[in-house]
Amino acid sequence: MNKTYIAQACTVALMMVLAGCEKATYEPAQQSGANPPLPKAQKFFIPPIQTPDRTGWAEGEKPTVADGLAIEKIASGLMHPRQLLTLPNGDVLVVEANSPGTVPITSPKQMIASIVKDRSGKGGKGGNRITLLRKAAGQSGEWEKYIFIENLHSPFGVQLIGDTLYVANTDNIMKYHYTPGETRMSDPGVEFTDLPSTVNHHWTKALLASHDGKKLYVGVGSNSNVAENGLDIEYRRATVLEVDVQSAASRIYASGIRNPTGLGWEPTTGKLWAIVNERDEIGADLVPDYLTSVQEGGFYGWPYSYYGQHVDQRVQPQRPDLVARAIRPDYALGSHVAPLGLWFYQGRNLPEKYHGGAFIGQHGSWNRTPLSGYDVVFVRFKDGKPEGVPEPIVTGFASADQRTLKGAPVGLAEDAEGALLIADDVGNTIWRVTARGTDTSAPR
Amino acid sequence: MLTYPVQTRSRLAHTVFALLNPIPFGLFVAALIFDAIYACNANVFWVKSAAWLNMIGLIFAIIPRLINLVHVWMPARRSSRVEKLDFWLNLVAIITAIVNAFVHSRDAYGVMPEGVWLSAVTVALIAIGLIVSALQQATTPGGRHE
Repeated sequence: MNKTYIAQACTVALMMVLAGCEKATYEPAQQSGANPPLPKAQKFFIPPIQTPDRTGWAEGEKPTVADGLAIEKIASGLMHPRQLLTLPNGDVLVVEANSPGTVPITSPKQMIASIVKDRSGKGGKGGNRITLLRKAAGQSGEWEKYIFIENLHSPFGVQLIGDTLYVANTDNIMKYHYTPGETRMSDPGVEFTDLPSTVNHHWTKALLASHDGKKLYVGVGSNSNVAENGLDIEYRRATVLEVDVQSAASRIYASGIRNPTGLGWEPTTGKLWAIVNERDEIGADLVPDYLTSVQEGGFYGWPYSYYGQHVDQRVQPQRPDLVARAIRPDYALGSHVAPLGLWFYQGRNLPEKYHGGAFIGQHGSWNRTPLSGYDVVFVRFKDGKPEGVPEPIVTGFASADQRTLKGAPVGLAEDAEGALLIADDVGNTIWRVTARGTDTSAPR
Repeated sequence: MLTYPVQTRSRLAHTVFALLNPIPFGLFVAALIFDAIYACNANVFWVKSAAWLNMIGLIFAIIPRLINLVHVWMPARRSSRVEKLDFWLNLVAIITAIVNAFVHSRDAYGVMPEGVWLSAVTVALIAIGLIVSALQQATTPGGRHE
């Protein structure tokens, strides 16, 4: 019967649509550098999702490091550690947090996505606290652990200027008087300034102090993937804010920078650089996340365009006037690698080739097959500009079959001896990378 | 006045069908209106609401469609051609609405223009089924009796 054929044809068409989940064609390295290939934007039928389940690290199991390096665990059993700060006396602060969970469910997709994310390896509960790690003199193994500050509100960035410690919660920057050597913050702290905090779709507030201690730079992520929650809640979002330390007054330093999760000073030029998470859902190979210098007053395209003048059709009404002046980022890292930690290495422990370049903690994709990210990469800098491809330095966070997740790197820092520290918020661990064979118990 | 196209042999199924069957159609019509408004004014409130309307319409369609499936095909020879036509129209409408639910999971204006067209097709298919059934019942006094 004719109608049966129609029904069959419809069913077959539907199956083809459902099965037509696209696969990525580029490796992150192939889509890195100053001129990444950018395929045509696609519309999908099924929202792309691939989230590995969490297994954590088995006893004695470690990430893999590049030749000439060694890795050890210095802390475990943390509550979603995200950022690190080494204090002048060598103590290391670990910020433990996750999303405040204040995003209202306003669409069927958000409802389903929140269920999927809670079940995946990345839904761990945040500690809303800062833990202090101290290396016991002459001992190896895990460092001493002290709870330093508690009852924070989804903290992320932390900086020390003189004897004042600044902690960027998702909704404000707190200010504490720090007494060197203390293992528990004695000052209750005061609010220094507020930060954009409606919805908090992207909740992390990265923080970086200027070398002269006069300014704080805050990375504020957008409140949506691509303005699908309306533009009125994007006020001061997708920006780098500059806050005056004296007056707490702030201004937008750069805008259209979708989710700047890490800030750093490039050592030779002294310029501000940022790692940025770009938009999703227009293809497995779009849009590459990036590393870029942040120009004062610069507009980086979000939400209207990406990589300069590539217009995103999902945003209406469009703004050709803004697109015309959108800055093309300096260096692509690959699509959906999710950079969450940036560290310009200036220590002397690691081999000479790492000096002056940038380490980047890539938390890894959740909407791409095959997975990308889930590693710490190194980007070489020459004369203040990145060059070459990102080189994987610490790997093995995801299982070989990409189904399970042992860990995921986030924030990076350098300890007093020049070792690279990595916060792992899935393994709830802090890793320490040193040159192989160096005796790190004695200061160099 | 006849407000629904098919009857069933079970009184309970008949009542449940009469109660639930109009709901998805109303929701799909509302989704079409909201999509049309969004296509014009690009205020995301409308398209998010349309996504909910379409999804809730699909959920409410499950029970009446199952009742209709049993009624029309078990056994098939007892059903009129119009009842079978109405069944197929509704089946294609539901498939269209499912595809539309996925299209509505895109962000912002990525839903358009496919979203408004799929909403229109869903409404049109169900409407044709209702119209054809109503015309047949109007020409057959008393409708179909057991």
